[in-house]
Amino acid sequence: MTATRATLAGLAGLAALVALALSVGAQGFGWGDGGAWALLRAPRVLAALAAGLALGVGGAAQQGVFRNPLADPGLTGVFGGALFGIALLLGVAPEAAWQRAWCLPAAAFAGALGTSALLVFCGRGGSSARLLLTGLGLNALTAAGTLVIASRSGESRELLTNGAYGDWLGMATFELTWLPILLCLAATLLLLPSARALDLLAFGEDAARGFGIDVSGARRDAVLLTALAAAAATCLVGQVAFIGLLAPHLARRIVGPRHAWALPGSAFLGAALLLGADTLGRGLWPQAPLSAAAVTAVLGAPLFIWIARGRHE
Amino acid sequence: MSEGLVEALGLAVEYDGRRVIDGVSLRAEPGQVVAVVGPNGAGKTTLLRALAGLVAASGELRIAGADPRAASARTNARRRAYCAQKPVCAWDYRVRDLGEIVGAPDAYAECLTRLSLADLTDRRLTQLSGGEQKAAFLAMTFAALAEPFGAALLLDEPAASLDVARQALVAAEIRRFVQAGGTAIVATHDLSFARSCDLVVVLAEGRLTAAGDPSTALTPDVIAATWGASAQAEA
Repeated sequence: MTATRATLAGLAGLAALVALALSVGAQGFGWGDGGAWALLRAPRVLAALAAGLALGVGGAAQQGVFRNPLADPGLTGVFGGALFGIALLLGVAPEAAWQRAWCLPAAAFAGALGTSALLVFCGRGGSSARLLLTGLGLNALTAAGTLVIASRSGESRELLTNGAYGDWLGMATFELTWLPILLCLAATLLLLPSARALDLLAFGEDAARGFGIDVSGARRDAVLLTALAAAAATCLVGQVAFIGLLAPHLARRIVGPRHAWALPGSAFLGAALLLGADTLGRGLWPQAPLSAAAVTAVLGAPLFIWIARGRHE
Repeated sequence: MSEGLVEALGLAVEYDGRRVIDGVSLRAEPGQVVAVVGPNGAGKTTLLRALAGLVAASGELRIAGADPRAASARTNARRRAYCAQKPVCAWDYRVRDLGEIVGAPDAYAECLTRLSLADLTDRRLTQLSGGEQKAAFLAMTFAALAEPFGAALLLDEPAASLDVARQALVAAEIRRFVQAGGTAIVATHDLSFARSCDLVVVLAEGRLTAAGDPSTALTPDVIAATWGASAQAEA
């Protein structure tokens, strides 16, 4: 009964947040003329919700796979890889990037998968510090690659710079966002059944295998789907750190660490946090809005330091 | 002779070109508790992990008539359960969560009661002492094999960090498991516990140096040769 009430309260809160987000425009709060709010603001709200779902569940899944509460795809280079994939496509074949709806998501997925593979290869079997240092190195490498490409490509320079600052939500239209939104939903739904494997992975590789988990298969699936979630979310928002850290941390606090609850809880909170951050950034400064990434960084960075201080490694 | 529940023939494990298990053969029947003893670094943990199919090993191996290295993880989980010497957990689950995670909440709850942990089910793992945590992980391992008949328990130092009362409860739980038709193979430093087992296997530097019932495997000569003269006096 308590869980049902909490779920209903959460959904009501999210509905209120959606209504608030739809009411924020370039002139501040208000519903605007006619259907403007639907045409201009609804794609942005939907994109923020979908990306937040994917970022939240992707963060929880990556933390489960690496058994590390600091493993946020935004900090371990996976989002950086997704943006680098997009930058590479825009730099090498800019005209091809916009020909098909799947071109940019595919490039982002390839980039995210590449950094995920490097992260697994270089960081596996080591300490949390090794994993995070590997991730930070990958993050720096992909960010540098993106900036180099941006500086060499006149047309895409502003686009990529905005992506690096997580400021793409303002460009959201139904035409541009329908596929990444579907991919975010697909990645989220496909990650939910991995809850039992992630629960058992918490006890280490031997224990998980001993209790009947195909550890390699479970890891591969989670890494692939996290890369898909990161790629799709990056196509919608650009590079956003800390949602994948904040949402799972809060979800585990509220519903406990069992992944059957923590995964959907992280997805829900990720959606609420990203939409809330975007709405806050637009609502407080309508003439010069802050990007969702900037707002989440303000909230997430202190949390990261706080969690890191609490770990003994 | 009946078929052994756990059978290993010439089992060998190499780490970085170094043989840490070298041609070990053993056979455990249903109803038997087998103690694996030996000094630190003898290869007890590696032998248990090899028997569980958790580490690459050469040689012949059968658990319940099948080679765990050729079976899926899910199939193996029905035939054997393994508990490490120092189990770890990345998340701060509640004690009761472990039964649900392993898919056997009722069996786990009963086992918690027998191990005198029933009052702690709402606590988080970090709120338990090391011994209580170990006992909860052991209960999880026992519960995973809901049907002991024809299954093997592989326990690495189950008594480590437990107080004497709970050591006795765990020993009783192991005996209960084998009386239901299972086999338990237990790595231990506790020679008193080993003497209470049905079979003792002595390892030194990865090789089997003695095996048999406790009176023949744990003779003063074997103890002196394996642990040194001072250990013989202790034993």
